[in-house]
Amino acid sequence: MADSNTPKPSSSVKLVLLGEAAVGKSSLVLRFVNNDFQENKEPTIGAAFLTQKCNLPTRTIKFEIWDTAGQERFASLAPMYYRNAQAALVVYDLTKPTSLIKAKHWVAELQRQASPGIVIALVGNKLDLTSDGAGSGGDADGAGAEDSGDARKVTTEEAKTYAEEEGLLFFETSAKTGYNVTEVFTAIANAIPETSLKTARGPGASHTAGRTEEQRVNLNGPRDPNAKEGCAC
Amino acid sequence: MLNFSSFVQKAQQLLDPTQGLNLPESDKNPSKASLFQSQFRLPSSQHPLYEITAELTIPPANVTQGDRDRDRGFQYAGKLHLSEAFLCFSTTPSSFLQSASTSTSSIFTGQTHGGGPSGNGFTFPLCAIRRVERLHSQNFQFALSISTWNGISQDAAKEKDKKDLREQRVTVQLAGSRQACERFCDGLKKGLRANVGNVAKLKKVTAECYSEYLLRPEDKKNATPPDAGLGMLFKYPGDPKKLRDRAKMRLWAEYLRDNGRNMTLIRQPTFHKLIRVGLPNRLRGEMWELTSGSIYLRLENPTLYADTLAKFSGRESLAIDEIEKDLNRSLPEYPGFQSEEGIGRLRRVLTAYSWVNAEVGYCQAMNIVVAALLIYMSEAQAFFLLSALCDRLVPGYYSTTMYGTLLDQKVFESLVEKTMPILWEHLVKSDVQLSVVSLPWFLSLYINSMPLVFAFRVLDVFFVEGPKVLFQVGLAILRINGEELLDASDDGAFISVLKSYFARLDESAHPKSENPKLRAVTKFQELMVVAFKEFSGITHSSITELRLKNKDAVLSNIENFAKRTAIRNLGPDSKLLSNDELGALYDRFYGVLYERQQRDHIIKQEQARRAKNSRSRLAEVASEGDHGIEKGRVGLGPSTSLMDYDAFREFLAGMCKWAISDSPTTPRRETFPEKEKGFYSSFRRPDAALLSPWGAGPEPADHEFLRRLFQKWDTDSSSSLTLQKVVSGLARIKGKRDIMGTITYFFELHDDNGDGKVDREGILRMSEALLFLSRRGLEGTLSPSSSTVTLSATGSASGGQNDVPGQSVSERFLGSVSAFIRRCFEYADPDHPKNQDSAVRELGDKLESTKLQEEPASEQLASPDAFAIGDDDDDDEDDDLLAMDSPAGSPKAPAKKPNNPPPALQLNSTQLSPNDDPDTRRRVSKAQSEKANIALDPSNPLHITLPTFRMVVLADELLEQFFESSFPSSFHIIEGLTSANTPTSASSLTTFSSLGIGIGIGGATSRAVNAATPAAGGRGLRGVLDNIVTDGMRVAAEVRRRMEEAQRELEKNALASGQQQGQQRGGDEEDEDEDEDGAGFTSDRASTRSGKVGRSVRSSDRDLLTGADAEAGDAAVDEAGPAPGGVGEGGRELGGNGGGERSSETGKVVGVEFDG
Repeated sequence: MADSNTPKPSSSVKLVLLGEAAVGKSSLVLRFVNNDFQENKEPTIGAAFLTQKCNLPTRTIKFEIWDTAGQERFASLAPMYYRNAQAALVVYDLTKPTSLIKAKHWVAELQRQASPGIVIALVGNKLDLTSDGAGSGGDADGAGAEDSGDARKVTTEEAKTYAEEEGLLFFETSAKTGYNVTEVFTAIANAIPETSLKTARGPGASHTAGRTEEQRVNLNGPRDPNAKEGCAC
Repeated sequence: MLNFSSFVQKAQQLLDPTQGLNLPESDKNPSKASLFQSQFRLPSSQHPLYEITAELTIPPANVTQGDRDRDRGFQYAGKLHLSEAFLCFSTTPSSFLQSASTSTSSIFTGQTHGGGPSGNGFTFPLCAIRRVERLHSQNFQFALSISTWNGISQDAAKEKDKKDLREQRVTVQLAGSRQACERFCDGLKKGLRANVGNVAKLKKVTAECYSEYLLRPEDKKNATPPDAGLGMLFKYPGDPKKLRDRAKMRLWAEYLRDNGRNMTLIRQPTFHKLIRVGLPNRLRGEMWELTSGSIYLRLENPTLYADTLAKFSGRESLAIDEIEKDLNRSLPEYPGFQSEEGIGRLRRVLTAYSWVNAEVGYCQAMNIVVAALLIYMSEAQAFFLLSALCDRLVPGYYSTTMYGTLLDQKVFESLVEKTMPILWEHLVKSDVQLSVVSLPWFLSLYINSMPLVFAFRVLDVFFVEGPKVLFQVGLAILRINGEELLDASDDGAFISVLKSYFARLDESAHPKSENPKLRAVTKFQELMVVAFKEFSGITHSSITELRLKNKDAVLSNIENFAKRTAIRNLGPDSKLLSNDELGALYDRFYGVLYERQQRDHIIKQEQARRAKNSRSRLAEVASEGDHGIEKGRVGLGPSTSLMDYDAFREFLAGMCKWAISDSPTTPRRETFPEKEKGFYSSFRRPDAALLSPWGAGPEPADHEFLRRLFQKWDTDSSSSLTLQKVVSGLARIKGKRDIMGTITYFFELHDDNGDGKVDREGILRMSEALLFLSRRGLEGTLSPSSSTVTLSATGSASGGQNDVPGQSVSERFLGSVSAFIRRCFEYADPDHPKNQDSAVRELGDKLESTKLQEEPASEQLASPDAFAIGDDDDDDEDDDLLAMDSPAGSPKAPAKKPNNPPPALQLNSTQLSPNDDPDTRRRVSKAQSEKANIALDPSNPLHITLPTFRMVVLADELLEQFFESSFPSSFHIIEGLTSANTPTSASSLTTFSSLGIGIGIGGATSRAVNAATPAAGGRGLRGVLDNIVTDGMRVAAEVRRRMEEAQRELEKNALASGQQQGQQRGGDEEDEDEDEDGAGFTSDRASTRSGKVGRSVRSSDRDLLTGADAEAGDAAVDEAGPAPGGVGEGGRELGGNGGGERSSETGKVVGVEFDG
C-alpha cells in the first residue's frame, strides 16, 4: 500500500471476517496486513483486531478488521463483532464443502442482522490446494499434492452462482500464496458506498439506546428503520 | 416461548435443599450443600453433616512430638464442619445448618480480606487424619487432638523413622453443649472409620505433590521429583532471579514444614500473603490444585484421568478434530509447546476432558488455559483443575453457547458503569464495545492478554479467591488506564491503549518518582494493589447478584440468536412451514427436551436421596450432581439436541390430541425401573405424581403409529430426531396441504420395505392408525352433511353422549374405517400369481354365495382348516359390513331410524333384525369371521398398492376429508393443546366402548354394557378394533410382561384348566362369551407381539377382527394354543388381568351412563 502524496479523503471501514474454523480467516488478514503467512497462529479468542489502509484512486480506506473465532460455539459472540460493520468477508475453504454451507449461514445472518447495505464478499480460500492454484503449484503442501494435486471440492460455478444470487462479491484466494488477497479488500473498498463512508463509525447519540441490546444490535440500533427492510423474509 | 423460569422454580421447590446443586451463580437460593462445597472447594459429593463452634489451636512451630511447650501457639476461633469425607475448620463463621439463614451460610462470599472463602483453618480429608484423641483438659472442656498423616509415608511409619518425625497435631476445642459435642464426635468417629480405606488413595495422590519432595527426609534426597509441569523440562517462564523464586521457595518450605503440606495444610495468614506475592514455580501447580479444590476431585478418583484416556483410546470425535487444529497454536512462544512432549500432554488433557465432559467438549481458549496449567502441573493435575474451572470457577465459559462468558461480560459492564461512570459514559458515546476487549481477558483468564509471568500471578490469586478476581483485575486495568482510554474514540484506539499497557506491565509504575521505593513498584504491582484494595468491594456475592440480575437477558439473547440461526438453517423442507410454525416447533422441540432433562434431574435427585446411605451410589450421584439443575436450557448449551422416542411422544402430545395416552397410569420403563413391579400403575403416592416421567403434562400415548412416525422422520435411523428432522417430517404432513401428498405419506408410513405394497397386516395397521388418530374426534373442516345433523340429533336423543356433534362425525368415521378395511381387502392384489385363483374364487364366492352359514359351530371349531378354505361366504356379512358404513360412508343418505338408541347400534340393528335373536347374530358373526379368514389367510398373501389405497380413501368422503384436512390440522403447532382440549380420561374418547357399544370386559360391567347394547353383533368389528386401539395400547405393556408368566402357568395347568374352561363354557351366557372374546383377543394380540405364539394366533386375531363372536374366539384361541384348552386358560387369565384394569375404567363410564 504505497502512500500517496496527494491528500485524499480518508475514512475508516469496519470489516468483519466470518467463516468456519480453520478456513484461513486469520491467514487472509495476516496476508493482507503484513503480507505474511504463518503455519501456526494462536487461535483467535473472541476476535482479533487489526488495521490496514487501502489506497484507492480517489480516497484512502482504513480497514478496521475484526477477525473472529471460527469455532461454532463462538457464533453467538459474532453479533458483537459484526455490529456496525460496513463490510464482511465470509470465508470458506475450497476443499471443504461444509464450510460453504456455514458460509451461507453467515451470509444469511448478516443479511438479516447486520447493518443494512453491508458489503459482503464471499471468499473461497486455499486455492493453492487446487489444481488451478494460480501458478502456485510448487508451493502447495502435501494435502493438496495428493490425488493429482486437486483437492477442490467446491466448484467455482457453484459458489459464484450463489454469490450472484445473493449479490455478493466473489473471490477465490490463497492466503498462502497471496493470490487475489489484496484484490478482495480493494474490491470491498470500492464497493463501499460513498454515503456510508461519511456516516461511518460516527458516534451517534442514539447508540446509547442500542448498547444494552448488543446481542441483537441492529434491531434496536440507530439504523433501525432500514434494518427492518433487510429483514423482510 | 415456554416459560422456562417458572418451571425451574417449580423444579427447585421440589428439591430437597440438602441436595447438592452446585450452581451458586445461577441459583437464587443456593442449597446449603452447594454453599458448603463452594466455601471449602469440596467435591459435590460432600454435604455439611455436623458443625460446631470451635477454637483451633496450632502448636507453635518446631514443636516435636513429646515436647511440652508452655507456649499456646496460634489460636483461631471459628467453625468446625464435618462432611462425609472431610473435616474443615474456617475462621469464617458461616453456618450450613438447615436452620441457618442464607446470609449466614454465605458469609464467605463477601469480603474475604485476602483469606479466600475458606478463611484460615484447614480442610482435612478424613483419610488424612491419623488419630483423634479426646483431651482431658483442666477446665473440663471438650477438646480434640487431631494428628494427621502429614509427612508420614507408609514406610516412614516404621519405628526407626518415628523419632525424626514431626507429627502434625492440632487441638480443637469444641464449644457447645455436651450433647452437641458428643454428637459431633460420634459423626467424626463414623466418618473416620468409613474413610480408613482411602488412606492408600491419599498416599497416591500426595505422592504426586511437589511438596512431598520438597520436604522429603534427608535419606531420600536422590528421589526423582514428582512432575511439576513442563517447566521442569523447558524452564518456567520468566527470569527466576527476577521472580525471586529461590527466596519464595524457602519461605514456602518453611511454611509447609510448620503448617502441613498439600492435604494436611493449615491455612494461616502467612499462607495467603505468600500467595499474593506469587507462587514459586515448582509449587505453583500444587497450590493451584489445593486452593481450587481440584486436588479433592483427584483424591476422589485418582485414576480417572488415566482411565479415561485408556477407555477412549483410539476413538474420534468432533472435539478431538477441533483440539487437533489448535494444538500447535497454544502458547506457541513457550518452548515446551514447540515440542512433541508438550503438545502430547496438551492433547491428552484436552481430549480426556472432552470425553468426561462431552457437553463442553472443547472450546477454543481451553487450549491456552490448559497449556498454561501444564507448565506448572502434571497432566492429571491439569485435567482435574480444568474440571474445577469448568464446573465451578468459570461455569459456562466454555459451554457450547458460552453463556457464562457472555454473562460475565454483562456483569463486568455493569460493574464498570457503577465504579467508573465517566469512563462508561465515554465508552457509550464513542460506541466502543467493552466486551470486545474484555472478553478474551476472562475467557483465557488473562493468559494471552498479559505477559505470562503476570498472568500466572493473577491465576495464583484467582484460584484462592475465585472468579471475582477476574473482575477486580479487569476493573483495575480500566481504572489505571482511565485517562488514556478517555482519549480513545474507537475500538481500535481502545485496544491499542490496553495492548501497550500490558506490554509495559514490568515497568515502573512511577518512573519519575523521587522515592526509590515507589520507583521500584512495577505496573503489575500497582495493578494488584488497585485490584484488591480499590476494588475490594467486588465480592463473590456482588458478582453472584449481578449474574442473577443479567442472566435471563443474556440467556434469552442467546436463545433468540440460537433460534434465529437454527430456524434459518433448517433446510429446504422448512420453507413449507411458516416462520411462526417453525418458531413454535423450535420452542416445543427444545421445551420438551428441556423439561425432560429437568425431570430426569429431579428424579435422579430423588433416587440419590434414597440411595444416600449407599456409599457406592454416592460417588455416582456426585458425578451427576455436578451438572446442576438448569441443564438443558438452550442458552446454557443444550446437552442434547436430539429427541428420542419418548421425548418425541411427549412432543407430539403437546400438539396432537391423539398423541395423549388414554391410560395415564402406565408405568414407564426407563425412568422408574424399580417401580415397574406394578404398584405404580394402580395407586401412586401424591409426591410420586410430581415425579411422573411426564411431569405435569399429559402422558403421551405409545401407539404403533407414533413409532412409525418416529421411524419415518428419523431419516438416518439414528433413533433420535433433530429439529431439522422434525421439521422435515412435519413439513411433509402439514406443509403442502395436498391430499394426495398426505395419502401417499400415510401409505409410505406403513410400507415397511418401501416396495410400494402394504400387506394385509399393514392394512390392519393402517386402520388401527386411523382409529387411533380419530379416537378423540376429528378436527379440521369436515363438511357438515344432513346425516351429520340427523345423527347428532339422534345422538343427543339417545342421551349419555357428551360432545355430540363431534362424536357423530367420529362415529361415522368408525364406519368409514371398517369400510376401508373391507375395501382394501376387496381390491387387494395377491402377492403371487399362483394365488390368483383362490383370490378370484374368494371374490366369486363372496358375490355368489347367498345362503347363510348353516354348519353347526362345533364343526367349525373342530376343523380349523376351514378358516383357510374360505368358501363359506355369504351375503349377510357383506351386507353387514356395508350396512355399517353405508350411512356413515355416504353421509348424504339420511339415517333411517333417527329415534333409535346410539346411531351405530341402530345401524346394525336395522340390518341384523331381529337383532335380539342370538342365533342369527351368531350366524352372521360367524360368517364374518370366516370371510375374514379368507382375506387374512396367510397362505393367500395379498397387498395393496398406493393407487389402490388412494382409491379406497377417495371412495369415502370422510376418509378423504380426514387426509385433506383433519390429519394435517391435528398438529397444533402454534397454539398447542390447551388444557381445555386435552382430554386425558378415557371417557372422552370416541371409541366403540365410549359410544356405549359393548365389548367384552370383566364381570358385571360387561353385563351392564351388554344390557344397553342388545345389538351385540354389531360390536364385532368395532368392538375388536376398539380393543386394538384402547386395550391394545393400554394393556399391551402389561400383558407382554405377564405373558411369559401366563404361558408357563398355562403349560403347567393345561389339562386342568381345559376342564375348568369347559365347565365355565357350559354355563356361559352371551356376555360372558364376550368376556372371553375380549380376553381372547387381548391374549392373542399380546402373544403375537411377544412373539411367543406363532402365526396361527395372528390369524385368529384377524378372525376376531372381523367380528368373531365368542365361539369363534374360543376356537381361535384353542387352535392357537400348544395344548387345547390350555391357551384358553391362559387367554382367560390374561383377559382377567387386562380386563380387570379396563373394567375399572370402563366401569366408571358405564356407571355414569347406566346406573344414573
